Amino acid sequence: MRIVLAHFKDQTLQHLRAPGYLLPTMAMPGLFYFLFEGQDTEVGLVTHLMASYAMWAILGVAFFQFGVGIAEERTTAWERLLRTLPLSAGQRLGGRVLSAALFAAAAAAVVIVEAHLVNPVRVAADRWLPWTLALLAGGIVVALGGIAMGYWVSRRAATAVAMLAWLLLAYLGGLWALPAELPSWTEAVSPYLPTRLWGEVTWAAVLGQPSALGDWLGLAAWAVGFAALALWGYRRDETVRST
Amino acid sequence: MTTDAVDAQVVAELWGVHKRYGKVEALRGVDLQLHAGELVALLGPNGAGKTTAVGILLGQRRPDAGSARLFGRDPTRPAARRSVGVTPQEVGFPDNLTVAEVVDLVRVHYPHPAATSELLGRFGLAEVAGRRAGGLSGGQQRRLAVALAFAGRPQAVVMDEPTSGLDVEARRRLWEVVRAFVADGGAVLLTTHYLEEAQALASRVVVIAGGLVIAHGSVEEITARVGLSRVRLRAPSLPELPAVTSVEVTNGSYILYTADPDELVRALSLQGVPFSGLQVERASLEEAFLSLTGGAS
Repeated sequence: MRIVLAHFKDQTLQHLRAPGYLLPTMAMPGLFYFLFEGQDTEVGLVTHLMASYAMWAILGVAFFQFGVGIAEERTTAWERLLRTLPLSAGQRLGGRVLSAALFAAAAAAVVIVEAHLVNPVRVAADRWLPWTLALLAGGIVVALGGIAMGYWVSRRAATAVAMLAWLLLAYLGGLWALPAELPSWTEAVSPYLPTRLWGEVTWAAVLGQPSALGDWLGLAAWAVGFAALALWGYRRDETVRST
Repeated sequence: MTTDAVDAQVVAELWGVHKRYGKVEALRGVDLQLHAGELVALLGPNGAGKTTAVGILLGQRRPDAGSARLFGRDPTRPAARRSVGVTPQEVGFPDNLTVAEVVDLVRVHYPHPAATSELLGRFGLAEVAGRRAGGLSGGQQRRLAVALAFAGRPQAVVMDEPTSGLDVEARRRLWEVVRAFVADGGAVLLTTHYLEEAQALASRVVVIAGGLVIAHGSVEEITARVGLSRVRLRAPSLPELPAVTSVEVTNGSYILYTADPDELVRALSLQGVPFSGLQVERASLEEAFLSLTGGAS
């Protein structure tokens, strides 16, 4: 555990000192929420959008801290040095997960606090826990997606791929607008995207509506798929590394 | 593995290790043993398989055949690496961590680590403790990598080309640290392609070329075999000469490889060979190996 905590600290310090990471992940969701959603009086709408932007904030941390972070580190001499230490892959991942969880919570908190300041959002007292759990569940799914990205994308392409995936999945998943407002052509893909499925269960949780089992199953399927891809990528990286 | 009295002091070993990368056979049956209190120099030209052998010994790679043991354990398990410090061939550090933070992170992995300030002082890094590790000069980064190998108060240290890129003074300081560590009962496995480094430090030398151990023995024995000099001269023709390992001729210009240049030059004079443009240089290890193996590697 001491080792996991040391890697948590290492990851957190490194990311705190990297403006290229901090600016998009911490500032962009709050900024976009303000610029594009602005102020409104309809409680249900502004609460729904707050939940959407909180998800988008968590998605950013998942893609940049895991996706870009792993892609940039895995080929470095420093990473090779770490591998000679009495350190398991699980301990290293544990530190990374704890650190990402902290940044994800902070990024979501920025949006949530901001929404409370500028809009009449209302989350019933008994909806905070289900909402948090829904954010956490989807956060795990997209974190697995980020890890898979980290092992399959080259270090040169990582930032661009993460940015594109972050924006596209937000738009197509209906995190920037209500899903009903999306152009009709998106109907063919949107309902199957992890961001949309995550959105459905999260909006239901925050607004106190029943969630559909199908959405949870869809999210679980993405989790399994991402985990398999991440594991495959990790194994492949291990083999490539030994040449 | 059973641990009897003899095995007790074996720190690390490879048995019959084979490793293939695609069509390239990097190792073709390598045996290696490292004991407490000795420094083994793993010597060989670039591409000989030194780094692959070290990688397998440290559990970074798995052998295709044969096996590796570190303190009697499978080196791919992190716990087996608790008493080993490593300086990799290539070094590099994060831009966003200070030198002291890097040292602290590495120390955490060991049960009884050395103090950070003591470690930084010993390797001449005290004044850069607060600097970003990624921004250090090449020589400083290499010294930091060496310091990290000693961070866990190891019983064994493995260094892959530790002095390449170090200036003479830094190299001498490193040699002193290594000698003191071995005198204290530590075991060191050092890969190098400098014969001088092996001569200065090693208790035993293992020469590897083309994925095979082609020679092993004391420093004196190995120096006699691979410590060749290159004698260049121009002459119309040469008689039979003593102590010559191999000869290259181009347009009356001769290059002779010899273990004993004095004897060779004496023979040239005694036999009245009308030579000119005599030059005697120490041959590089690469040349010595090519000369020994007839160019096959």
